[in-house]
Amino acid sequence: MRNMTLGGYRVDNEAPHINVTQLSVAYRDQWVLKDVSMTVPGGRVLAVIGPSGCGKSTLLRVLNRLVDRASGVHIKGQVQVGNFEVIGDHVDLVELRQKVGMVFQHPNPFPFSVFDNVAYGLRLQGVKNSNRLRILVEESLKQASLWDEVRGKLRRPASSLSGGQQQRLCIARALAVSPQVLLMDEPTSALDPLSTAKIEELVLALKGQYTVILVTHNLQQAARVSDFTAFFREGRLVELGPTKEVFTTPRQSATEEFLTGRYE
Amino acid sequence: MKGTTWHRLAVVGSLLTTVVFGLLLGDLVWQGLPQISLRFLWRTPSELSSLGGVGPELLNTLLMVGAASAITIPLGLAAAILRIEYGARPGFLLVFDRMRYTLLSLPTIVIGLMVFEWVIVGMRWPLSVGAGVIALAVVNWPFVVDVSVAALSGVPDSFREASLALGATKYLTLLRVVLPSALPALVSGLGMAIARLMGESAVLIFTAGINVSQHWGWSAPGETLAVHLWYLRTESVAPHADAQAAATGVVLLLLVGLVLYLTQKLAHWLKPMDALKKI
Repeated sequence: MRNMTLGGYRVDNEAPHINVTQLSVAYRDQWVLKDVSMTVPGGRVLAVIGPSGCGKSTLLRVLNRLVDRASGVHIKGQVQVGNFEVIGDHVDLVELRQKVGMVFQHPNPFPFSVFDNVAYGLRLQGVKNSNRLRILVEESLKQASLWDEVRGKLRRPASSLSGGQQQRLCIARALAVSPQVLLMDEPTSALDPLSTAKIEELVLALKGQYTVILVTHNLQQAARVSDFTAFFREGRLVELGPTKEVFTTPRQSATEEFLTGRYE
Repeated sequence: MKGTTWHRLAVVGSLLTTVVFGLLLGDLVWQGLPQISLRFLWRTPSELSSLGGVGPELLNTLLMVGAASAITIPLGLAAAILRIEYGARPGFLLVFDRMRYTLLSLPTIVIGLMVFEWVIVGMRWPLSVGAGVIALAVVNWPFVVDVSVAALSGVPDSFREASLALGATKYLTLLRVVLPSALPALVSGLGMAIARLMGESAVLIFTAGINVSQHWGWSAPGETLAVHLWYLRTESVAPHADAQAAATGVVLLLLVGLVLYLTQKLAHWLKPMDALKKI
C-alpha cells in the first residue's frame, strides 16, 4: 500500500479523483444536500465555501461515511473515490477511512503522548515493530512540518503543544495511515494567523500527493491554497470551477454576491 | 450583596462544618480508641466480656463487598457501554434511564425486603453471607451503572470521531481511546460506590443476619462492620457496648477512608496525559 522510496520521500501516492453523482443527504426528513454532482481531479485541492448550514461539513462526512454516526441519515446517489464505491450498505468503512483521512475543525489529539497520537492509526493497522513505528512517525511528523518543533519531545503529552501544533499533529496522525484523500473541515478556524499560515503552506506542500477537500469560511484561504472552488448554498452546489475563475469571474450571481459579502 | 460578603459567608460556613465534623469525629475516636488494638481487629465479638473484637465482621465486610463489587462492576460497566457507546433505540434508552433512576432512589431497606422475599423465603437460603452478597449487589448495581455512564459520557466525542476517522472500528475505539480516557473517572467513582457499600446496613439486617459463625462460609451468617455497629448500639448487653460501637465505627471509617484514598490515588495514576502533567 505504501509507495515510498527515494530517500524516504513518499512518491506517487496515486491520489485518486473523487466523483460525486446526484448525491442527496437528509437527516430524518431535512434534506441538507440536494442533488450534488461534481468531480475533483486527483491530487488537487478543492476549496468548499458557502454560508453556514449549506451542507459543506455534511459533504465531507459523507466522503468518509462519518455521517453514519448521526441517527436517521438517508443518502441517495453515488460517490466514488478512485474506483472505490463510498455509498452502500456493505462498504468496508475501515478500508474507506484508511483511504480517506480527516482533519477536524478543532484540534482533537488523543490524551496520549505526541508519539502515541501519530502511532495510533499505524498500530490499528498492526504495525508493532518499534523501529518501524519510529520511522513512520518521524516521517509523518516531517510531512506535517512539525518534526523540528517536537523532536526529542515525543513522549510529552499532545496537550502540551500549542493549538496550531496540535492541529499539525492531527494532520500528521491522519497522514500516518497513508491516506489518498485528506478531508479538512475548517482546520484553521480555531487558530491564530501564524498557525493558519503554516497549515496553508502545508496544504500547498501536500498538493499532488493527496486529493484535498478543504472546507473553509476564510475566502482568502480558499483563494490562496485551492485549485478548484465549489460554492454551496442551501444544500445545492451553485458553482464549481478553477479557483481563479470562480473568484474573478463567477458565472452565477449568487456566487458573486457571496464573494463580495452581499449575501444576507 | 457583594462578592466579598458571599466569600466570607462561604468561609464561615465551611469552618463551621469542619468544626462540627471534627467534634463528632473526635468524640467517636475518644470513645473508641481505648478499645482498639490489633486484638480487637482479630478477635470474635463477645456478649459476655469487654474483650470482644470485630475480626469476623471485618472479614465479612471485605469479602461481601468485594464479591458484590465483582458481580456488579462488570455488569454495570457493560450496561453503561451499551447505553453510551452502542446507543440503542431512543425508546429503550428512556425505559433504561427510568429504571436506573428508580432503582437508584429506592430505599435500601426496601431492597433488603425484596431480596429477603426472593432469596430467603423463595429460594430457602439461610440468612447468610451469600444472601447478603446478592442484596449488596442489587444495591450497588444502579450506582455502578450511574458512575460508568457518567465516566463514559465525560469522554469528548471528538476523541471517538478522530479514532473512527483513522479507520478504527467501534470496538477498537472503545478499547483504545474511550476506556483509557474514562478510566480515572471510573475508578474514583467506583471507589465511592464501594465505600458506600461498606457502610450499608439496612439491606443486610434481613439478609445476612446479625450473627457470625465460628467457621466462615457462604451459607453462614454474615454480619458486617456496619451491621455490628448498629447491633451494638441497639441490642447488645455486653459491657462497654457503646465503646465497642465507637471502636467499630472508627475501624469502619478507617476502612472507608482507605478505600477512597487508594482509589483516588489509582485514578490519578491512571490519568491519561493531559496539560496538567507536563513532563
